[in-house]
Amino acid sequence: MDIDELIELVKLHGKSIYGFCCKLTGNRADADDLYQETFLKAVELRFKMDPSRNPKAYLISIAVLLHKNHRRKLAWRQRIAPTAELGEAADRLLVPLASEATPEDAVLSLELRAMIREAAHRLNDKLKLPLYMYYTADMTIEEIASTLRIPPGTVKSRLHKARENMRKVLEVDPL
Amino acid sequence: MRDADWDRLLRQSLADAAEPGEELNESLIRQLKERNEMKPKYKKRLSVGLLAAVLLLVLSVSAYAANQLFSSKQVAERLGDRMLAEAFESKDAVQINQSKASGDYRFTLHGLVSGASLSEFRQSSEELYPDRTYAVVSIARQDGKPMPNTADDEYGLDPFFVSPLIKGQKPWQVNIFTMNGGYGETVIDGVTYRMIECDQVEIFADRGVYLAIASGTAFFSNKAFGYDEATGEVYAKEDYSGASLLFDLPLDAAKADPVKAEAYLDALLNPSSPPESEDNERSANTVEDEGIARIQDVRAKMRAGERIGETIPESIREMTSDDSGKLKYAYDGWSPTISPDEYFTEDQVGFSERFSISGKDDVYKALLFHKDENGVITGRIVILD
Repeated sequence: MDIDELIELVKLHGKSIYGFCCKLTGNRADADDLYQETFLKAVELRFKMDPSRNPKAYLISIAVLLHKNHRRKLAWRQRIAPTAELGEAADRLLVPLASEATPEDAVLSLELRAMIREAAHRLNDKLKLPLYMYYTADMTIEEIASTLRIPPGTVKSRLHKARENMRKVLEVDPL
Repeated sequence: MRDADWDRLLRQSLADAAEPGEELNESLIRQLKERNEMKPKYKKRLSVGLLAAVLLLVLSVSAYAANQLFSSKQVAERLGDRMLAEAFESKDAVQINQSKASGDYRFTLHGLVSGASLSEFRQSSEELYPDRTYAVVSIARQDGKPMPNTADDEYGLDPFFVSPLIKGQKPWQVNIFTMNGGYGETVIDGVTYRMIECDQVEIFADRGVYLAIASGTAFFSNKAFGYDEATGEVYAKEDYSGASLLFDLPLDAAKADPVKAEAYLDALLNPSSPPESEDNERSANTVEDEGIARIQDVRAKMRAGERIGETIPESIREMTSDDSGKLKYAYDGWSPTISPDEYFTEDQVGFSERFSISGKDDVYKALLFHKDENGVITGRIVILD
């Protein structure tokens, strides 16, 4: 894969990879960094990448690897001072605006969605990664399996478990 | 809730509407192109240097470090900052290239440069303090093993603290963290290169400035360094389990600015007002928090059986059922459709714990659902107190 093909991927899959980075990091500043570093890492690995073999899954797997690294920020410029999670707050505010439901539905779903996101964020990586890949990055079971190098059956059971865990959390405080 | 509904809800909640900004994508594409041009150059250089590599085997370790390491300029380039790379070549830059060993590592301080608007990447703190200092340090293992790559799992397991410290200032108060610092790091050929930056330290040139490095910690550690209050000297502790050492930065004393330095330290050590960003965050959260707080407040009152407000009598209406078993309520512009099993358990009688609130001009109304002993569900509007 050459650089032009990689640039094409930025345009093609940038949005879903960025969304995934946002979920993974929880704030915009880190998401920006992770997003950039994912593609810059892909430059190094581009000879291994095959445009016909799901480059999006490959890019997501790079993002996951970089994120897994405890000090993932170190590979690029890092602001040491703790960053305020402004991005997340702004992101949450977008929800009612984007909603087409009635105002009362919007308030309801606003609270419910915030709880769902919170519950998802609290899951451990094992359950969280497939969940975000499936719902945020819009990947298929097979794509997730190849990215995480686990059998599709395991992906399914982890997704199921993630959904059940979150359902339980939400049932403790039913809306 | 049915599985399909749950699935839909998850997809709606977890889908991220955030998109990479145009600027971000443009800068990314530019960097991708730059890396493409840059990469092969290094590769070629290294392969041509095979003979040199053989010769190196008979050279001492320090010679190895001095000759084979990348320069500050190359490191800045590698970190995608061309402007800064040029600054490292300018006459204002200080070439240091000193190496010291401590613990398992050999550290080399390559060089530093200070000034305003040197980097392509701007920090928010530059609005207040436009002058910044940049320095490049490399870290190699003494036993010759390569440092882990940034993508390796071992990367970052042994963290490093690299920071300027000012003589006469308590190092736990004045260090890279408090001086709006940051760094970029990259691993090339088994050597870690870290480029640090912070508010500029040349103004302290007359006092004396150290560059402190410690392993095993990302923050300033009293175990690695000591501070002599009487003399203002900072020293590396010999009994520290990891690496700890200090370089004296050879700054030009003529560039010292005692007035500026004093004002800077005063602002740093005696912050008068909380940072503005916290306020922004607070206000950004308020709208949502208020809604949630109000819902929780009403719910708590309902649980306790307390009055929550005045019911509009004509709004009490029985819900009408549609073909799919969902219930519809209609009154004065309110027209929600609900699935009864999401609001009530099978045997529940009374008000549902789930409800919605809407507010306008400080008047908040809640739409409540009630199920009687015959299973009839009604909706009503309550004007909240």
